Amino acid sequence: MTSSAPKPPRGHFSVLYFAGAGSFMGRDSESLPAPLPLGKLFSELESRYPGVQAKILDSCLVTVNLDYVDVPEDGEDGALIQEGDEVAIIPPVSSG
Amino acid sequence: MGDIKDDDANTIWEMSEDGCYVGLTHDYLNIQQAIHKVRSPAAGAIVLFAGTTRDNFAGKPVKELQYTAYNKLALRTMLTICKDILSKHGLKGISMIHRLGTVPIGEESILIAVSSPHRQAAWRAGEEALEACKSRVEVWKKEEFEGEEGVWRANRDGAMGQKVDS
Repeated sequence: MTSSAPKPPRGHFSVLYFAGAGSFMGRDSESLPAPLPLGKLFSELESRYPGVQAKILDSCLVTVNLDYVDVPEDGEDGALIQEGDEVAIIPPVSSG
Repeated sequence: MGDIKDDDANTIWEMSEDGCYVGLTHDYLNIQQAIHKVRSPAAGAIVLFAGTTRDNFAGKPVKELQYTAYNKLALRTMLTICKDILSKHGLKGISMIHRLGTVPIGEESILIAVSSPHRQAAWRAGEEALEACKSRVEVWKKEEFEGEEGVWRANRDGAMGQKVDS
């Protein structure tokens, strides 16, 4: 797995999938259309990868441009993921 | 998965700042180098922790381990941990180096070295640095077993991880 995604094309952001997330998605990263409200990120991924929310995402954290963000629940939009942003799905860590 | 791109120009492998050194590498870990990074004439003690890869999980034989990282974020988190611990314990230096990719059984996957004027602070700081690393640094371990799928581990639960569908 490479740790930096290719630059996303115009009008897109990149999203990185680590560890179990990468295994479930079958890829390390991809580009998705921007802008996208943070609150829609998991449902967007669920529509592309059915089952991913319960199996993977519910136990993951999310970073945008290397900062951890709160993913809004209950259908709220929250902040907008912008073109060129680097989003990452961070499963529970296991260093050492 | 496991596709290592060492030549990726965007990938960062080390950072250092004010007595702190953090690194990620696909190479065999160099203990002398980890110690050398923290050596100081003002120190009376260097404590080195070497984490090695165990051959079993709860009695089940493990063939090898695979580590992967979000390099940019992992190094940033490692540096934050090191700076906090350096200042809290009055250390002269701290280094934290994690190996990535395939690590055969019995080899080092992580080195942490700390130096301080006196040994007590060095022992404590070394342990604290490791625990903070294990709970926070964005590195992931997959245990590969003989004849079945690998399992991504999570430090927070110590339970059997998730089967990998690949």
